Order: sequence, then structure tokens, then C-alpha cells
Amino acid sequence: MINVESMPARITRIAFLAIWLLLTLFPLYWIVITSFKTPGAIFSFPLTYWPEEFTLANYISLFEKADFGVYVLNSFIVATGASTVATLISLLSAYVLARFEFRSRTAILMAFLVTQMIPAFIALGPLYLLMVQLKLVDDRFGLLLVYIAVCIPFCTIMLRGFFANVPDALEEAAMIDGCSRIGALFRVIVPVMKPGIVAAFIFNFVNCWNELFLSVTLMNKDENKTIPTALNGFISSFNIDWASMSAAAVLTILPTMILFAFASRYIVQGLTAGAVKG
Amino acid sequence: MIKRKVLAGIGLGMTAALALSGCSGSPEAEGAVTLQMVESLTNPARTALLEELIAEFEAENADITVELVSPPTDQADQKIQQMLQAGSGVDVLEVRDLTVGPFSTNGWLDDMTEEFDGWAGWDDLTDNAKKVATATGETYFIPYGFYGISLFYRTDFVEQAGFDGPPEDWEELLEQAEAIQDPDANTFGYAFRGGKNGYTNAVLAISAYVADDIDVTNAYKLTNGDSIFSAPEAQDALEVYFSLFEKASPPSSVAWGYPEMVEGFTNGSTGFLLQDPEVIAAVQQSEAVSEEQWNTAPMLKGPSGKAIQPLATAGWGIAEASEHKEEAAKLIQFLSEGDASIAFTEGNSLIPILNGAADAEFYKTGAWESYLAMNENPDAYITAEQPRGAAWWTEWGEKADAEVQQVLIGQLTPEELLASWDAYWTEKWASE
Amino acid sequence: MSRQQTTLKERPSTRAGAPAAPRARRRQFTTRRGFVILAFMLPAAVFVGVFTYYPMIAGSQMAFRNWNLTNLTDTSWIGLGNFEKILADPSFGTILGNTVLWVVASIVPQFVIGFAIALWLRRRFRFRGLYQALIFFPWAISGFLIGILFRWMFNGEFGVINDVLKKLGLIETGIPWLAEPSSAMFAVIVANVWYGVTFFAIMILAALQSVPDELYEAGALDGASKARMLFQITIPTISTTLALTVLLRIIWIFNFPDIIWAMTGGGPANQTHIITTWMINITQRGDYGMASALGLLVVAILLIFSAFYLMALRGKKEVTA
Repeated sequence: MINVESMPARITRIAFLAIWLLLTLFPLYWIVITSFKTPGAIFSFPLTYWPEEFTLANYISLFEKADFGVYVLNSFIVATGASTVATLISLLSAYVLARFEFRSRTAILMAFLVTQMIPAFIALGPLYLLMVQLKLVDDRFGLLLVYIAVCIPFCTIMLRGFFANVPDALEEAAMIDGCSRIGALFRVIVPVMKPGIVAAFIFNFVNCWNELFLSVTLMNKDENKTIPTALNGFISSFNIDWASMSAAAVLTILPTMILFAFASRYIVQGLTAGAVKG
Repeated sequence: MIKRKVLAGIGLGMTAALALSGCSGSPEAEGAVTLQMVESLTNPARTALLEELIAEFEAENADITVELVSPPTDQADQKIQQMLQAGSGVDVLEVRDLTVGPFSTNGWLDDMTEEFDGWAGWDDLTDNAKKVATATGETYFIPYGFYGISLFYRTDFVEQAGFDGPPEDWEELLEQAEAIQDPDANTFGYAFRGGKNGYTNAVLAISAYVADDIDVTNAYKLTNGDSIFSAPEAQDALEVYFSLFEKASPPSSVAWGYPEMVEGFTNGSTGFLLQDPEVIAAVQQSEAVSEEQWNTAPMLKGPSGKAIQPLATAGWGIAEASEHKEEAAKLIQFLSEGDASIAFTEGNSLIPILNGAADAEFYKTGAWESYLAMNENPDAYITAEQPRGAAWWTEWGEKADAEVQQVLIGQLTPEELLASWDAYWTEKWASE
Repeated sequence: MSRQQTTLKERPSTRAGAPAAPRARRRQFTTRRGFVILAFMLPAAVFVGVFTYYPMIAGSQMAFRNWNLTNLTDTSWIGLGNFEKILADPSFGTILGNTVLWVVASIVPQFVIGFAIALWLRRRFRFRGLYQALIFFPWAISGFLIGILFRWMFNGEFGVINDVLKKLGLIETGIPWLAEPSSAMFAVIVANVWYGVTFFAIMILAALQSVPDELYEAGALDGASKARMLFQITIPTISTTLALTVLLRIIWIFNFPDIIWAMTGGGPANQTHIITTWMINITQRGDYGMASALGLLVVAILLIFSAFYLMALRGKKEVTA
């Protein structure tokens, strides 16, 4: 299966992969091209697939109109912090759920699965009240805490699958060698699971980086806004301003894309190690 | 309590995250007051202007700091509701004619009568502004301006199509828009509003056709107490109105809301647009439409030569839970007086709230002429109040929008639409 | 790199050999063991409990009360009144149908295309790493942004999709995609497929790599055709992973209003609403009671569905085993 491929099969494969690549990249190409067009050119007719004149004006006005740098920084802080902590916490809970059998294990797993079924909108109001009481509204630390909670369930389910694939013998050997349980976990198992952990981290990061509704609800001041909130603001009551919006979209996608470009190998390997195991 | 302790413990354990987020509470100086101000109809230019005015206010009142919160418009009112419900994070807020009803019913708004007792600015307010500010006997907000509707049109399109001037009534609009429509060249007659709040324009057409019999205190009622949707003229109005869509609008305008309509006009593809004056600024910034290519005309009339102008409004109010009501009132007074108010209404192209402000050069030129024309002819351009404060107003808007779209996609006839609307309001009024 | 790959290849054998011995150890109960479980579970439990479950439970009580933001002076308990309101709503049937359509019509192409990509990506070729990185991009974009992007491309007058179709000679005049219920539904599903194929491609590719080569070698010796190997070796081996991935995706897509909300807002004429976009709509008119009831309904539907799904899965496994 791996080694023999007939000519027609080869052509089908290449054609299919090429077409899908084209379909995947075209929308991205379109938004990038739009971001370099002048507002007039966006609505010129017929459409141009390559701008007659490239302009950086949309990007420049973005940084003038709004503190885009601040939003990027906020998103970065919150997403990095939350995904790091969530991955660490999930590592612990996933380890226990994978390695121990105890009475409430199934219940805990179900409870985590149910969090994926809850539409976020039910919880927004009470969450806001809670955060007011904790004095964590309009505070990056508060948003970070909430994001950690959002990330944990899926991250735990995912990491649990990875643990199942690491042989027990590995840590037992380490524990016999005098490592504590936590020492064995971090010194022996974590290195083996690195691809899986990276994949989990990236998954968390992308989710936090793109999150909109919690961020709009919990952040007030401009200096605390994250990118999705700012982007949403661009569809302001005024007009859609496709030019600025495309530029903003490109800037939003860029960091996650760079991350993906570097880490895509890890993602596949990581998920390979665990996939989603029940 | 316990929860908080547990949380604090976790918080301490996560010093790394803490260090990253670099947060710290800013201690307030003795005697200084920080006001939280939340706006709703946010747009970048307006926010910038508001910040300038706030800076002036802070310069005059050294002990007051104002923090302006500008949520994305789509989520703004929902966020304001959450803040009001939580009773924190907001002192001064943008109250709209749409939200004043629910907010005050829930006891979230301060009755500012006391704070504004003896305010020197009262005398400068126009009658309309005063009426809105004291409508229910309480003062829940001071309007900052009014949104009226006029017809934006492309002078060059109208001329090329062989007409002397802009349309005066709905029938003429249909005629001119049809003449302009040329889908192959991506040129369309009318920027139809089929999407969010699309029903408002249908209601505009209906009101113009029943203008002779309308109840000006409730623009959805006829003087005989029936709804305007029950009048036979309403059928004629909708016939013209929906023909506009079929014959003279972009097909995708079924889904057009505010941004798309404005864009359709500012990108140079449509000839006519019915909109608020705040759009003037947007058109002025347009690269596709130059200054000589457009103007505004007064509201479209019905067959009897009259039009109904529904004035929409919004303003500033104080949260009941605010601990700094006195300072909040000071800020609102500052924004509602003299230069600050004029700067705000001119900057946002609003109909002013101050007597005499409309005499300024600004309101006599260009696109504003049509507003002046309407102001000077109150018998033909009748201002009437829509029941926008009703608790079911949002529900109504959704229902009405969906039904307008149903007509556009052929799932409902205009007759059925009118019958449904008439039944809806008749029932609501009966249950009041 | 090489070490990780060895781990992967070793896995099937370790998986088969491991359980017997440690199982006994796991059963012993010691205080120390209890302490480890508690200490390791606690952070996750506290976070999820405080920031997810507490707000959810606090929010659910609104489902049984007359909780309307336009008038909070009377928030009395009304039992199942909100649920009755949902069932009585004339558009509920359409919305339920749309939700099913949205889930099924999104997930089938996502799965098929994702599966095909994954199968074909098993073969090494030059730039495979780059290719993977490129086709993974959609996954990095937020649903909201994807909605905006596709709304722009599906624009009836200035949209690039109409323009391309015209250039290809497939249509003569532009289609107002988002103005007709059926074409609008089609457009939002296209956007969702574009977004979701990646996830399946990654997951299935990952699962495929866990199929030991020996199985194929054995199959090849038996002279099995490729199609037979696919259905008799590949798919059975990874079926559990596939089934669970599909379940998780069904849950997510069911609960994924972002693309529809950004592209059509549920219109025209409420014909592209799914349950969760409708719920946003209802919160906007202030009826939090009804919205919460709808939220609970979503959880109930998904729970029941998952239960049946997992039961069917288990039953099937027993048959094959």
C-alpha cells in the first residue's frame, strides 16, 4: 500500500492535493491582497486579482486609529499565560485520569465532556457577576483565569490519550531509581510526550487567541482589549471598512500562522501519539 | 468567602502567570473621583471626539478622572446591561430611546431630576430636547442630539438619468431609481434595507402614506386609534416600497443592514440611500464619491404631500448604583452645554439639542440644507414619536425584520405582512 | 524527531503488553495514593468548577424563571414555561432542521475530504511538511473571522466567488448568495467545511500513523486490493479514534454559532438560524430565561445523542471483538 502506486492513482492524488491547497489558500490570498488595496480599488469593477498599486495605508491607519500594538500584546500575554498554565494543570489531571482507577473517574471525565456541550451564552451573565465580586473584571489576570478554565477540559481529555500510550514501565523504573512521582512525571514522561504536549499547548493557544465573547464581556478599557474584541469593533456602526478590516485580519492571523508553520510537525506527531482516546 | 480564599491560593501559586500579566490596582488619590463612562453607539471617530471633550472636562475638574469604555457596538447594549445588573463598573452611560424603557423599569437608572434641579443649561435646550429629557416626569437621560432621516442621492446619477432634481415622494424615488439601475455595470438605484432594522424603512413609507391621519404622539397609531398598518393606504405604500426592491435595488440587499447600505452608497454603486445625518461624515470621507457627486434631499413624501419624520435619540444618563452621582451629573452637564455639545453634534452630524445651534454656518451648508428645509416646513415634514420605548420593541423589530425578508424572498404577501403587524400592535395595546 | 518516531512505532506492542501487571497496583488503596489523586486533580477541578460549572448552574436557574432584561421587576419561577415557549415558537421546527442540516452537511464533507487528505499525506513527498503547514492554516483562524472573510467573498456585487464563477463561465450574472435562504445555508456550510477539514485531516493522519505497517505487509502478502486493505485493515484499526473524533466534532459544530452569526446573522427571514445563533438572538432581545432554557435543551440533546452514540459504538466493538 505504501510503496506501490499506479499512475492514475498518482495523478488523482496529486490533483486532489493541489486543488485542496488552492481552495485553502485562496481565501487567505484574497484577504491579504485586499489589505494592500486602496479603499477605492476594493470596490472597483471589474475586480482586480493583483492590486494595481500596493498601499500600506490600511496598516498604517490601523496603528493610528487604534492601539493595535496594545491589543496584540494583551492577546499574547493572556493566550500564552493561560495556555501554559492550562497545559500544566491538565498534565496533572490527565496523568491521574490515565494512570489511576478510582470511583469518580468516569464522572470527572463526563463532567469535562459536558463542558464542551454548554453554549457559552448561558454562563456569561453569572460569570460577569462572579468576576465583579472577585474584582477581576477589566483585568488581564481575570481573563487569563477564565481562559485557563476554558482550556482545561479538552486539554485534559487530549493529554489523557497521550499518557495511555506511554508505557507504565518507564515511570516505574524512574520511581525505583528514587524519583518522586512528580519527578518521574516531569523528568521521564514529559520529555517522551513532548510532541503531544506541544500540540495541546498550541490548541489552547489558538483557542485563547481567537476567543471573542468572554473577552468582550470581561474587558472594558481600551488598554485591556484583545485582538478579537478590537476586530469586532471595526465592524462598527459606521461601515464595514473592508480595507482596515482585512489588514486587521491579516495581523490577527499572522502570529498563529507563524506558530503553526513552526509547530505543524509537532501537531501531527503529538496527535499521532494520542489522537482522541475515549 | 471560601471560594475567594481558594482562588487567592491558586492565584498565589501561579506567580508566573501573574508576573506575565503584570497587573496591579491603581490606588486612588485622596478625594479624587474616577468616573466610568460607557458608550453604546461606538465608532472610532466618535470615540476620539468624546475623549477630547473628556480631556477638557478633566482639565476643568482636576479632582475627577473619567475612564471611557467603548465596547464594540454590536455587543455594547448587552454589556451595559450586564454592568448595570452587576451594579458596578459604570457611572455615566449612553442611554438610547430604545433602552431607556427597560433600564428604568429595572431601576438601573438614576432619576436625575434632583441633580439637574437648577441647572443653567435647561433654558438653552430646544423644545424637543427638553421634552425627551423630561418625557415621563423623571429625567433618565439628557439627549445629546437627534437622528433624523433624509435622502442621500447621487446628483450625477440623477442628472444622467434625465431628471431635474431629487425625488420628492416615494413614487418619484421608484421612477428615478429604476432609471438609474444598471446591474451589468454594477450600478443600482436604491440601497435597500432588507437586513437588520429593515422594517424601519417600510414603516417610513407607510407613515408617509397615512400622514394625514397619524397620531403624532404615537406614530404607529392613527388618530382613530387603529394601527397605521390597518389603513388601506398602507397597501399602496408597500406596493411602491417593495417595487423598489424588485426593480431598483441590488439583489443581495435582502441581507443589507446599516453598514452594507452605507457602504453601498459610499462605494459609489447605488444612487439613493435613506439614512441618518451621521452618514454625512462617512460619505464625505468616501474616495469613490466626490463632493460634487452627492447631496441630501428632504424625507420622501406620500401622495398627500406630507412625510413623517421619526426622531430617534440617545443621550447620557447615570447608573442608579453609581457612588459618584454628583460628579457624573457634572460631566453630563458639561457635555450638554455650549461648545462641548455643539462640537459633539457637529462632529457626529446630529441634529443639535441647543437653541440657536442650528443657525450656525455648519448647518446651513451642503448636505445639511435638506434638514433645514424640513425644519422650516413643519406642516409637510411632521415629526412624530414612535413607540420605541415599549418593552417589546426589540421583539417587534425582530419579528418585523423577519417578515419583511419573507416578503422579499416571496414567502409572504404584503397584505399578510400588514395584517400580521396590525394584529401584533392591536394585541399589545389591548394588553397594556 | 527520531526518538519520537520510535515511540510511535513501538506503541502497538506496548499497548498490548502493558495492562496486566500494573492493574493490580492501581487497585491498591493507600492514603498516599488518594493524596496524589486529590492533589493532581484539584487545580483542574477548582478552575472548571469555579469558572465553568458555577456560572453555568447559576445561569440555568434563569431557565425556570421569567427572566427578561426588559423587565426584571418580576422574575418569578415559571416551571417549564420557557421550554413551552421554545416548543411553541413557529420557527423552532425550521431551526432544529437547520441545526441537523448544519451538522450533517458540514461534517460529512469535512470527514471525507479530511480522510482523503490524510490517506494521501501518508506517502512521503517533497515539501510534504510545507504542504501540511499550509493546509493547516484555516484551523488557526477564529470562526468569527472566517465568517467575515466568507461574507466578503460571497458578497453578491463585489464578491470574488461570483467573479470567479463568471470567469469560469459557470454563471452569467452574480448570485446574491446570502439573500436566499437555500444559497445562504449553502454558503455558511461551505465556509464551515473549509474551516473544519483541517481538523479531521490532522486527527485522521495522526490515527493512520498508529496503524502498524506489519498489518499492511500481511495484507499485501495475502494479495488484498488497496480498497480492501482500506476497508478491512485501515478503517477497522482506527475506527475508535475516528468515531470519537466525529462525536467531538458533532458536539462542537452543534455549538458553533460564530460563522453563521458573522455571515448571515440567521437571516434572511430567520431561515439560516441554528439553535445557538437563535439563542444569541434571544439574548439580544433580553429574554435570558428562554435563552437559558434553550441552552439546557442543547446540553440535553447532546448528552442523549452522545449516550446513544457511545452505546452504539460499544455494542459494535463487542460484535467485532
